[in-house]
Amino acid sequence: MSFFSLGHFFKRLPYKQLTRHQNLFTLIKQKPRTQSTTLSSVLIKVSACSSSSSSSSSSPCTSLSSIYPPLAESPYLSDMFSEALLCFGASSTSVDEHDNDADENSDEIYIDSIFPECEDVDECILNAANSIGLKEIPCYEVKMGEQCNWIKKAQESFHPVEVTKGLWIVPEWSTPPDVQATNIILNPGLAFGTGEHATTKLCLLLLQSLIKGGELFLDYGTGSGILGIAAIKFGAAMSVGVDIDPQAIKSAHQNAALNNIGPKKMKLHLVPDRTFPASMNERVDGIVEDLSSHEIRGISETEKYDVVIANILLNPLLQLADHIVSYAKPGAVVGISGILSEQLPHIINRYSEFLEDILLSEMDDWTCVSGTKKRAKEDH
Amino acid sequence: MATLKEILTRRPAAATIRLTVPAGGARPAPPVGPALGQYRLNLMAFCKDFNARTQKYKPETPMSVTITAFKDNTFEFTVKSPSVTWYLKKAAGIESGSSRPGHVTASTVTLKHIYEIAKVKQSDPYCQYMPLESICKSIIGTAATMGIKVVKELE
Repeated sequence: MSFFSLGHFFKRLPYKQLTRHQNLFTLIKQKPRTQSTTLSSVLIKVSACSSSSSSSSSSPCTSLSSIYPPLAESPYLSDMFSEALLCFGASSTSVDEHDNDADENSDEIYIDSIFPECEDVDECILNAANSIGLKEIPCYEVKMGEQCNWIKKAQESFHPVEVTKGLWIVPEWSTPPDVQATNIILNPGLAFGTGEHATTKLCLLLLQSLIKGGELFLDYGTGSGILGIAAIKFGAAMSVGVDIDPQAIKSAHQNAALNNIGPKKMKLHLVPDRTFPASMNERVDGIVEDLSSHEIRGISETEKYDVVIANILLNPLLQLADHIVSYAKPGAVVGISGILSEQLPHIINRYSEFLEDILLSEMDDWTCVSGTKKRAKEDH
Repeated sequence: MATLKEILTRRPAAATIRLTVPAGGARPAPPVGPALGQYRLNLMAFCKDFNARTQKYKPETPMSVTITAFKDNTFEFTVKSPSVTWYLKKAAGIESGSSRPGHVTASTVTLKHIYEIAKVKQSDPYCQYMPLESICKSIIGTAATMGIKVVKELE
């Protein structure tokens, strides 16, 4: 591949950025310098990252990898070089451990590094090598990689999972091991909620104990839609899933179709991200009010759902507590998960003003909190 | 000193991966995706775990995380707080350090800033046993190399 064809993938770095690099360069020089030895084979893979969060596999992938001819090296140096690469623009570096018994003679160390498309790889490696005082620049090979590759590889690791007796989560490409059981067919894709995580399992178990038939279920932070689909399979009348990530809504639609759940039974909505940094809350309160009233009219109504489950993260759970609980009917069950056991006290503090009969379930290091919404309300 | 049991059950390490991920913002997309995907690690599990553990940091701060992937496709990771230079840049309100440190001052920070940064750094697994004073001294040294002056109080 001629240099020209590679070159057109990179933009020249603007001057401002160069000065930034120089400052890091002087900084790193302060660290104690090892003997300037030569680096062994450095395989640097450079890949382009689309900065938007939803990266579908249809977009062309661009990743480059570089290989340097092998030279002897100490492991300490490879650590420093990886960190220097990260400072100068690599988005990730990985060092493979080689079996030492296989080739005792070669002390080669390969460093795999992924760069975003706009970065100048040569410049970056040059700066990184200089900053830690290498005598020679290690050899590298730059290769464009396929974005689809890693997606495929990640998906390969999904197998059917038995959450509990009679409930399986089966990836789209596998056959269900137990045809009699309740099988939820999923294409995990790029959304959260594959069924393997402890919190998903905890929520599924909670759901199984709650759904008797004919309930209205809200999945707050639906991800792949797994909880909504499970609710329908257990016998709920209708599921509604909301999420802030358009990729999640897309995956959830696909998964509902895979399980033959039509749009009447399961609705999915993309909602705006209402979590703001704390300092902005006061200023933004007015806007948040408008959004919620718009939502009530358009999509879902408050005080309508028999079961509400939110399996997200601690901070959104704390900030949106009012909002999440407002969707539940008085006396309905609200389930909260996605929290580590050490974060539990915060959640309990926050939610105990809305919920009573709080029950906990734990798996590994994760917990699930469930409670019934307090009935005593001044209005209606 | 690892116990005998630990040595016997130690899983062979396949690779060490270093990444910079914004706190609470790990997604299966790049940069996390390709880096972990090629070792067949469970992306979802990592993202959820990482996001949950970085909830106590301000959202979108770039955390450096080191992942040790084992041959049986399991992994462990440690999260380190952002670099001192990043904290100093934020405290001083500048985008990049000065172009001629020692001669040209880019900005100033107060001792209170230094103290706060040192407290955050002390919760890092590597600095836990260092006295706060020596952490402060090293932060002041780093500030000097960036061309950031340290003053007692802001005028």
